Amino acid sequence: MTRHLNCIVPPHILDRLAESSDAAVREAARQTLLTTARLRGQREVRAGLLGVSAPTNGRRSVFDCRNSTRLSDAVLVRTEQGHASSDRSVNAAFDGLGATRQFYLEVLSRNSIDDRGMRLDGYVHRGLRYNNAFWDGQEMVFGDGDGVIFTDFTGSLDVIGHELTHGVTEYTAGLEYHNQSGALNESISDCMGSLVKQWTLKQTAEQADWLIGPEVFTPGIEADALRSLKNPGHAYDNDTFGKDPQPAHMDDYVDLPDTDEGDNGGVHINSGIPNHAFYLAAVAIGGYAWEVAGRIWYQSLRASTPTTDFAAFAATTISKAAELYGVGGSQQTAVREAWEQVGVGTTAARGGAKQAAAVIPPPREELVRQFDELTAQVNRLRSELLSS
Amino acid sequence: MKLTLAEHGGLAAGLRLGRAPLVVDLSTLPDAEVRQLTDLLSAARADPAPSGSARTAPDAMSYTVTVEDGGSQEVLRGTDTTMSRAFAELLDRLRRLAVRGR
Repeated sequence: MTRHLNCIVPPHILDRLAESSDAAVREAARQTLLTTARLRGQREVRAGLLGVSAPTNGRRSVFDCRNSTRLSDAVLVRTEQGHASSDRSVNAAFDGLGATRQFYLEVLSRNSIDDRGMRLDGYVHRGLRYNNAFWDGQEMVFGDGDGVIFTDFTGSLDVIGHELTHGVTEYTAGLEYHNQSGALNESISDCMGSLVKQWTLKQTAEQADWLIGPEVFTPGIEADALRSLKNPGHAYDNDTFGKDPQPAHMDDYVDLPDTDEGDNGGVHINSGIPNHAFYLAAVAIGGYAWEVAGRIWYQSLRASTPTTDFAAFAATTISKAAELYGVGGSQQTAVREAWEQVGVGTTAARGGAKQAAAVIPPPREELVRQFDELTAQVNRLRSELLSS
Repeated sequence: MKLTLAEHGGLAAGLRLGRAPLVVDLSTLPDAEVRQLTDLLSAARADPAPSGSARTAPDAMSYTVTVEDGGSQEVLRGTDTTMSRAFAELLDRLRRLAVRGR
């Protein structure tokens, strides 16, 4: 049902404000657009939704944090239609966001992270000597590295694909980020991140390196990558890091506490097991990994739930392989054997179809109050903007 | 006074798992450095992260700074998505000063 709603601030003004170089203005406009979408009776949208009046089709924006850790301090430095920057990191982030967007669109027919054209925002030069990159639910954030162990994280296409895929998982299965569901969450990101790179380079499964983040280390560090889907446990072995702790088989599953110190039950550790299953399936099937294995895994992700574990996901992939390519076909056989090789037994996927999440909107009165409050804030900011 | 920095999670979480935390023993630092570090520590204390701010974003990192002074111990926590500017500056300084703990 669509309700007619007269807005104090016209949507086209909000759209313009949502593009503002002032982060506070931009954020206020976003929140107002979000609230108006809810009031109009549209289905629940994520906080990152913009441009309610028109699809954005994954429009990219890159912001420079200028070494601040607060994204609100960042300045807009490149837009979808804008010129290339003189800053290599800006351009690398822009290109990586674009490659990932195009992969999802052209290979998996998915329109950006949320399948509704969600904007793709990247924030580079976050913090000082920051050795990480992450997706925070709305945007991707990149560090420059300390220059001793790590270098600029925008330089790794599979890292960018990995992080944006966390967003895809959030909008599909919603795999909880701990224990086996969390390791699956990490694995899906590694698998898709690797596929983004393979697709961009047009590499077959045999040609691909199946490494995650080989470019993030400085030249002096002896390490192949952060992780290897082809050889879990062998991405690095040196005095600085010790040995890669990833297992390749369920017999070596690492039981870790579900705490920060325990990597939430080893989500970055035990992901090696489903990672290796994906690699084995892809190589057994042959050709380009994104064409068959990638499709099977993606459809299985869409059919999974927040608590799906290894066995349930394996069962789903076997089922999806049959659904897509035929019962008893070579594809299904390859998938089944891959899981057997990593020691994951399969359980019948209970209620394998993802149940629709219950959407419980706040009371109408609260929404109206929030909308009035935000509209007043946007009007104040608009006045300041026009008078400056 | 001794400050210990432990880092958790992140894209490279596997590398960090089991690594000894970074340790800064103020008794080994020049006076000027000690003053700057204690100023950063005071600023971080005064601007804490919101309570209950667990690391919610995949691959975002969390940090624990343990302050040992005499017989007392204090813990400051922060995450990539919620840390204050002061906490970020404290982290950066500790990383540059620290040696890997044993």
